[in-house]
Amino acid sequence: MAAQLNVWRTLTDPLIRQNPVTLQILGICSALAVTTTLATALTMSISLTVVLTLAAGVISMIRRHIPDTIRLIVQIVIVASLVIVIDQILRAYFAEISRALSVYVGLITTNCLVLGRTESYARHHAPIPAMVDALGNGLGYSLILIVIGGLRELFGKGALFGTQVFPLAETGGWFTPLSLMLLAPSAFFLLGLLVWAVRSFWSEQVEAPEHTPPLRVEPAE
Amino acid sequence: MIRGLWSRETVAMVLLAAYLPLGLFWLWLGGVDAIGRLGLSALVVAFWHLVFMLARAQAPSLAALITAFAIAMLAPEDLGVFRLALGISFGVVMGELVFGGWGRNVVNPATVALAFLGFGFPSFAWPIFDAPVAWAAIPAALIGVLTGALSAALLGGAGAVALIALAAGLLPQDALLVSGIVLVLLVADPVTSAATHLGRWINGALYASLVVLFATNWTGAAPVQIAVAAALLSSLAAPLLDEKVLALWIYQRRRRHGRT
Repeated sequence: MAAQLNVWRTLTDPLIRQNPVTLQILGICSALAVTTTLATALTMSISLTVVLTLAAGVISMIRRHIPDTIRLIVQIVIVASLVIVIDQILRAYFAEISRALSVYVGLITTNCLVLGRTESYARHHAPIPAMVDALGNGLGYSLILIVIGGLRELFGKGALFGTQVFPLAETGGWFTPLSLMLLAPSAFFLLGLLVWAVRSFWSEQVEAPEHTPPLRVEPAE
Repeated sequence: MIRGLWSRETVAMVLLAAYLPLGLFWLWLGGVDAIGRLGLSALVVAFWHLVFMLARAQAPSLAALITAFAIAMLAPEDLGVFRLALGISFGVVMGELVFGGWGRNVVNPATVALAFLGFGFPSFAWPIFDAPVAWAAIPAALIGVLTGALSAALLGGAGAVALIALAAGLLPQDALLVSGIVLVLLVADPVTSAATHLGRWINGALYASLVVLFATNWTGAAPVQIAVAAALLSSLAAPLLDEKVLALWIYQRRRRHGRT
């Protein structure tokens, strides 16, 4: 356990330097599925951040009482009950977005990002640091989701949050929507490009090469 | 073959020579419009090769011209400069240059660019080819096979399946012509097709079977769209085919000699 908590570092490290999506490649499934529009991406980000922070707090509070052999079940039960609460709130107040998100709010339960943080951090730290770390990771996840969701909605529909930004060609403007942006592969490409951009700015994130190319290429016979 | 003659650029030059009859026929029939498309796509491809040479010290390749030619020939029509440039940039960068340049790519950059343009802008019409252009693919294939740049096994595999399909009446005329052009231009590319002998036969046969499958069951698809989709899937399957062929070879050696 860290002797002294550096709140600011714990909170801001997961934003880019230790980003759960672009560095650890966690939580990809939902990041790809819910980013067709900015509204769903934002709702998903808030839900995940809330669930992650609360779950980390609860698990950290009872961390000395969880038997090691059944710790995963205990964690999943806690996460799942929080997810159900969030899901019910979304259905009650944001029915439209809840329908658009379909199963993905429920799937926060099995999101590897949530289990990863509770398993690796909250189980070994006091509630406050655990919740700060969870909040930071939730914000890091949200950052990526909002960037990708914004790009996909902007270029796929020419809109942001449902309001038209680029005038569409159908109504006399100049913008023809890239319908590929609304399909799942584009999220893969955007995420890949984002990881590439992040790793060219923060080159310490680049993984060590697995192969060394030959120094001089020998012409074949 | 003389040792030391064959480098990456030699292969690219021989391929260019092989595609010359196809390209000249296409330019002759297409006129100024075709020259403009070829110029634009060559410019965009060359720009990205230059960027990657300066940023990553990746040697540019003459294969850039082949990519530009394939895209200019097969891309949907009337896309406009911006959309065409976007699709070409995506295909060339994500399909080839990020992997380290021509020779290290998994899929043909032209195939990626065409698939991107097709899925991204479905409202634009795919080009239609006159029969003479499609016939020009035959001398291209012959030159390629004779010089060893294109695989005879791959073309043979595709041809065998195409003959069977023709005999069964499953392959319409327009799909046959276009898939021949795509076979020579995209599928037979020595980098992204299978590298083992048996793998090449299967690769060609797989491409032709996919074309037959799409031609008979994909309603409302243009012939070029069918051929490009089949090319993309078969080039993705090529490493798997090689892997299986090698596994089979190792298994046979072990049975015959008791060791690998």
